[in-house]
Amino acid sequence: MLAQDRRQRLLAAMAEAGIGEMVLYGNAWQGDYLRYAADFGILEGHGIAVVAADGATELFLDSATEADRAEAEVPGISINFAADIARAVGARLERVANRRLAAAPRRFLPGWLAQESRPFALEDGTAMLDRLLMHKLPTEIAVLRRAAQMADDAYRAFRQAVKPGRRQYELVADTEAYLRRRGCPDNFMIIGSGGTDVLGMTPPSERRIAPGDLVTTELTPAIEGYFVQICRTLVVGRANDAQRRAFDLFRAALEAGIGAVRPGATAADVARAENDVFRRHGLGEYISSKWTRVRGHGLGLFCDSKPHLLEDVDTPLVPGMALIVHPNTYHPEVGYIVLGDAVVVTETGAEVLCQTPRELFEVTA
Amino acid sequence: MRRGLISRSAAELPDAVLAARVERVRAAMADLDALLIYSNNTRAAGVSWLTGFVPYWSEALLVLSREREPVLIVALTYRVKRWIERTSRVAEVVHTPRIGLEAARMVAGWKADAAVGIVDLDGLAAGIVADLREGGPRLALTDATAVFARLRSAADPAEIALAVTAASIARQALAQAPGEGGDLAAIIAAVEGAARALGAEEIYIAAAPDLARECRFRRIEGAATLGASFALRATVAYKGAWIRLARTFGAADGEAAAGRLATAVAALPDAGGFAGFASWLVEGCRVAQPLEPLLGSRVTAPHPPPPRALVSVQASAEIDGRPMLIGAPALLGGRGEAASLLVQPL
Repeated sequence: MLAQDRRQRLLAAMAEAGIGEMVLYGNAWQGDYLRYAADFGILEGHGIAVVAADGATELFLDSATEADRAEAEVPGISINFAADIARAVGARLERVANRRLAAAPRRFLPGWLAQESRPFALEDGTAMLDRLLMHKLPTEIAVLRRAAQMADDAYRAFRQAVKPGRRQYELVADTEAYLRRRGCPDNFMIIGSGGTDVLGMTPPSERRIAPGDLVTTELTPAIEGYFVQICRTLVVGRANDAQRRAFDLFRAALEAGIGAVRPGATAADVARAENDVFRRHGLGEYISSKWTRVRGHGLGLFCDSKPHLLEDVDTPLVPGMALIVHPNTYHPEVGYIVLGDAVVVTETGAEVLCQTPRELFEVTA
Repeated sequence: MRRGLISRSAAELPDAVLAARVERVRAAMADLDALLIYSNNTRAAGVSWLTGFVPYWSEALLVLSREREPVLIVALTYRVKRWIERTSRVAEVVHTPRIGLEAARMVAGWKADAAVGIVDLDGLAAGIVADLREGGPRLALTDATAVFARLRSAADPAEIALAVTAASIARQALAQAPGEGGDLAAIIAAVEGAARALGAEEIYIAAAPDLARECRFRRIEGAATLGASFALRATVAYKGAWIRLARTFGAADGEAAAGRLATAVAALPDAGGFAGFASWLVEGCRVAQPLEPLLGSRVTAPHPPPPRALVSVQASAEIDGRPMLIGAPALLGGRGEAASLLVQPL
């Protein structure tokens, strides 16, 4: 149902733009454009979907294992296994070279397919797809709410997993097992543990959790392909005064950011609201790209969607956009801290999706 | 995106092994001034083979030249530089969102009209190709896939050992599944949790919940009803080495199927032994995709694996009238030697 809703919306957008066929690329790093039309969550290799104006959709995959899986998972789509996916799609497009063709994201396409010497021309349809991906349908928002509930529950499981002596990757193993037990097939998470030596989060290492550690995680389960993120920090043992003071600052920044989310505001406004809190406390250095990547980002079929919340991104916020607001960065007194909540832009402001308290959790040392 | 253990062990992947691989590639570069190899989390097996680097997301280009040490140009931010240096063996890590532009400028700075070989040039993202041309307008870009594939395909002892560990993780993980019945989500959770706790860099679980109805694997979301006979496939990565292991549960005679698979595998790269299977597939790393289709019942452009290649084999068959899905990693023999499974799919 959800996939049909998306495809109908895509077809309407194609018709409005006069596009005859749409070419959508995806891989396991960024599969949102592909999934929007083909409803296939690609894990291995390249995938390209070709969507005709009448809705007929063909999915080209260069992994035979993935092609078998796609045949089982998306029965309404024509599946083509092709080791040389660029030439297979090229042969398909040659048949419709007289139509207007567009690709998204065009810059990700295999280079051979985008060469000017091809007998077909592929316009860049990325902006059109970005609008569809950012501005969610009510049915998409409903799935995001379910994913947010899953994120809350998974963070609880993560907290229970954190114990002194355990290795970082064992905490992730417990969290992933929890999600699979709940029937949730996908998640993105990174982690950090320690003190002022920790500059950010990465995949888990062999490092053992120790008393006094700040343990950070960005946890992003997906339901029906829709990712919702939660960012929280906990302390192993009792938080000290410096950790509490630092955390209060991050909470104020998060609340300021969420407070800035409303129709008519821009991504930059939200980032600026978060960053101003740091500036007021003399920590303006730590909102630079040296210490932090983004102050939040879009959520949906990709865990790091547009728009990125940065002070130079002027994307306007409109009802139906889903975002995570996270003023995550390094604090010179205590180390890296994360705190973030997923929100949906409403007609009047923001609906916060996650319910986990915004507190510096403590677990037994 | 990867969220398993990504780490580097000097015992499992010594500097000397990586240095020897780099030297072999350099020696094969012939008239090339530089060689570029792309990496993201689905095509990591070229760069990880030379450096140990596995991106958990984002992308990178490895720049090799005959005289200079390898440089890794990454779209990951500076904040994870220490992580990259800890998990990889490269002389220099450069951070930029436009990896193609930076790579071209770097090589052009060495020699404006350098001959640059690019592994899988046709598959390289159009945006990166455009940036390469912008950053080095006089560079001569050619496809170097064949040069690299000749070296990448055969496994050395270090890679074989990593694959054996990956196979062992998969086998121990699948052993968490009960022989019959139970809740599929709970079974998948037990298998995946075990694999990750054993240090898997990645694990994908696919299931065929009821072989009487459907003989294809799929990823499970939500609840699924288990039939009397079901199958699980674990795709496991360990420190850059990828394998698949597939088992059927509740079937009459798994040993017979395993025996038939072992016999067919022994003859590889001759695929005649698979004639009795309903479908079959041999995958392995030829360039940068960890498990690229090499041979199989639906592979129309075969790439027969060379001697000493690591592969993963999957097949479906009917044993006593009942469908079975089975699969395991294997190592091809040297010339005149039989291939053998790394682990039993039982």
